[in-house]
Amino acid sequence: MKRYYAIAGSLLATLMLILSGCTDSAPNGPKASLGSVTVNKYVAIGNSLSAGYQSNGLYESAQIYSFPNLIAKQLRTAGAAIGDFQQPIYSDPGTPDAGGVLASRYEIISLNGPVIGPKGLTAGAPTNLALQRPYDNLGIPGAVIYDFLDTTNITTKSTARANPLFSLVLRNQAAFGSSVFNQTKAMHPDLITFWLGNNDVLGFATSGGTSVNAFSGLATPTPADKFAAMYAQALKSLRDSLPNAKILVGTIPDVKAIPFFTTIGPKMAAGIPAAYYLRYQKHGVAGSSNDSTKLTEPGAPLICLTASPYASLLGQPTGAWYRYVAQLKNIPISALYASYHAAGIDTTQPFGFDSHNPFPDALVLDAGEQQTAADAVAAFNATIASVAAANGCAVADMNAFFTMIKTQGGIVANGETFTADYVSGGLFSLDGVHPSSKGAGIVANKFIETMNVKFGMNVPYVDINTLPGIPAPLSKAMAGKSIPVIPSSAFRSLDMLWGN
Amino acid sequence: MEVSLKQHLKYGTCWLSAILLISAIAFGGGFQLNEHGARAMAQGGAFAARASDPSAIYFNPAGLAGQGTSLYFGATFIMPKVSFFGPIKDANDPNIQNETKMVDQTFTPINLYATYAIAPDLNVGFGVMNPYGLGTEWDPNWVGKYITTKIDLSTFYFTPTIAYKITDQLSLGVGANIVTGSVKLSEEKNVINTDTKVTLDMTAKTAYGYNIGVQYKITSDMIFGASYRSSVKIDASGPATFDPNFAVVNVVNDNVSASLELPATAFVGVAYKVMSNLEIEADYQFIGWSSYKELNIKFQNDPTKDVVSPKNYEDTYMIRVGGEYTIDALKLRAGYLYDHSPVPSAYVEPLLPDANRNGINIGAGYQITKALSVDVSYLFLKFDQRKAENTAIQFDGTYNMSANLFGIDLGYSF
Repeated sequence: MKRYYAIAGSLLATLMLILSGCTDSAPNGPKASLGSVTVNKYVAIGNSLSAGYQSNGLYESAQIYSFPNLIAKQLRTAGAAIGDFQQPIYSDPGTPDAGGVLASRYEIISLNGPVIGPKGLTAGAPTNLALQRPYDNLGIPGAVIYDFLDTTNITTKSTARANPLFSLVLRNQAAFGSSVFNQTKAMHPDLITFWLGNNDVLGFATSGGTSVNAFSGLATPTPADKFAAMYAQALKSLRDSLPNAKILVGTIPDVKAIPFFTTIGPKMAAGIPAAYYLRYQKHGVAGSSNDSTKLTEPGAPLICLTASPYASLLGQPTGAWYRYVAQLKNIPISALYASYHAAGIDTTQPFGFDSHNPFPDALVLDAGEQQTAADAVAAFNATIASVAAANGCAVADMNAFFTMIKTQGGIVANGETFTADYVSGGLFSLDGVHPSSKGAGIVANKFIETMNVKFGMNVPYVDINTLPGIPAPLSKAMAGKSIPVIPSSAFRSLDMLWGN
Repeated sequence: MEVSLKQHLKYGTCWLSAILLISAIAFGGGFQLNEHGARAMAQGGAFAARASDPSAIYFNPAGLAGQGTSLYFGATFIMPKVSFFGPIKDANDPNIQNETKMVDQTFTPINLYATYAIAPDLNVGFGVMNPYGLGTEWDPNWVGKYITTKIDLSTFYFTPTIAYKITDQLSLGVGANIVTGSVKLSEEKNVINTDTKVTLDMTAKTAYGYNIGVQYKITSDMIFGASYRSSVKIDASGPATFDPNFAVVNVVNDNVSASLELPATAFVGVAYKVMSNLEIEADYQFIGWSSYKELNIKFQNDPTKDVVSPKNYEDTYMIRVGGEYTIDALKLRAGYLYDHSPVPSAYVEPLLPDANRNGINIGAGYQITKALSVDVSYLFLKFDQRKAENTAIQFDGTYNMSANLFGIDLGYSF
């Protein structure tokens, strides 16, 4: 009997030993690598999107999550000997507002509302000024395509554009190069991301179609023909001086896809009583206006995030908007009233519900302005595609990417859904224009996907789980479905970005 | 000096250690558990034709007819091993190298059967079994934490049964299934800049089903069996807790409910007595998994949190073959099973990763005394390497899975 147990026991043990070795090996698959591409230097060229500008400010804890810095980290994992990716770091809480002392960065002051704006903190300071070479990240908040080749003295330029960030990024033209192009050349990059053109239309759009463009002299986006000439010259210069570099350009997303334009409108619409319409000023109108909307019909105007302080004043006999404009222009309110009164404005009438006190042009992107912006984006993207092809550059279609996110209601990463909703969506930061850190990760992954496909590389993707969300004081107060409260003064820095 | 097995047991020196009789949950095809008695388990679970011990209450109630009054009870000890490689965005994504191992757990479904012979041709019986269950656990910070961190599903079937020998060849049996169960799901959810742990703890309202079976002795050596167990609709509800709560963004505790249909299943099998001491059997089992199309979780106070999770399981089948060789008081058993996965590639997910499985069983039974017997079995389940591709949850990757199972049962005849 014992023999049977011995046999059975050893059979069982042998079987278990054999079977437990029968586990599958790891699946076959590629390892992270650069393919046949050598990357010893990566340079990012662009605007605030490349700089890691978030929530109305440039600050270190956002800059470390700029999409170029995220790409650099993934390149290193794939074996690129690029060393540190140097950026023009500005210590937290970041760059100052127009007053020069307090930080312009928005924070969530309270989720009750929500109330969003600068917290009155003293601005930070640049901390990477001693770098003995140009920055690897040449993204300059406020840059338009013109600025790539422009060699104007940066002090003059910063003053003229009311934007000190040209000086921050280019630092010393004599030492590092007189333009973004020259500073790029000096570094001999093997890999370049080039994402410019957004501001050539965003300046127009975020000002409600009122900002005067430097190239047309009118309140328009950069004219398509001028954009085409500048873009062609930019990429050709880059390609001629760096014949072997891998250049990746980005297309321009549709302006309607960003929460800057999609947040206030629906909330205001809910506040328009059934019998009323919103009276608003169309493009170029400065006085009374009969143009009306319910804000919900097809072709309705979009309301800018800048309308936040005024949206809750609908129906009140207020001149708050005109007081703000006077303050901005630094003229007495009396002088301003005189000129607007002549155009038919009467601030004793219900704001937004009376044709004599209409919702202002600068806070509205009407159907015509939307079309102008869309036409500009389409023209710019056609230019980008053809110029990239002519110069052997790969195109990361960020326009199609953001449109897809909008049409499919969001994007999923590791089980988390991201949408373009303001604050709660996770993709955009508090200014409604620039991506959050997680959004930057999603943008980085789109660039990485393109370089993997077009350049035959195998750079690993960023794990979005590892990126921080928007800092928020999650407390016990109850959230309302009301309009986010953002003080009007908070938007001055955003204006500065577009040279308004 | 020779020491008999009886003395081994008495002195606790048995080389097969005792198995805990703790009722818990376990891991099976889809989430069906196939281990309901160590004797059947050792033979690939091919037992619907013979059904010649009280585990007939599970395999084929008709087999209960003509059995003596007896008790049969035990447990299975299940140890799955799962590795996930990914997640990957496309076929070239180097993240296929990123391996995450599922937390090792041991599950112990139980079985308890009793039968009473009212007459030589009439038996009643009662069984307690876990025909459906699953459990998976991942590190709370793993890359898929926003999809799942832990899930425990358990079901208990309480089955009163009656079986009648109509003729010497034909027997019929029928049982009522009184079903209870629970499901507990955990995952992380990102709230602006922080994680909260979501736990849904749902208990099922008692539900009902039935099973029927027939057994036909074709010849003195060949027997045919067929049985059917109805689907059972489970309605479960319970608290949803968020840890921590964030009232300001409406992340607050609530109550949830969900419905789930446990599939209908049918066995057909034929057993053949090759020699006086060797029996073999082959069974085909159909499982109507297409009843599990989606998991719909409703929040009582906040419908915006409702989740509709498509599953799209497909009807599937199992093939089982096994045999038993008797030498005096000892029975040696072996078997093989093939379990076809009900889950299409686009719906393979870390909550219940699944693949086609091949199982190899061996086991033995020993008649200790005229009344007391013991059965032990070992099953090695080898899953095909499973690619989750173009998944609905956008979490593609590859799963490697296997499981070791041990079963022990004691039988006592009155």
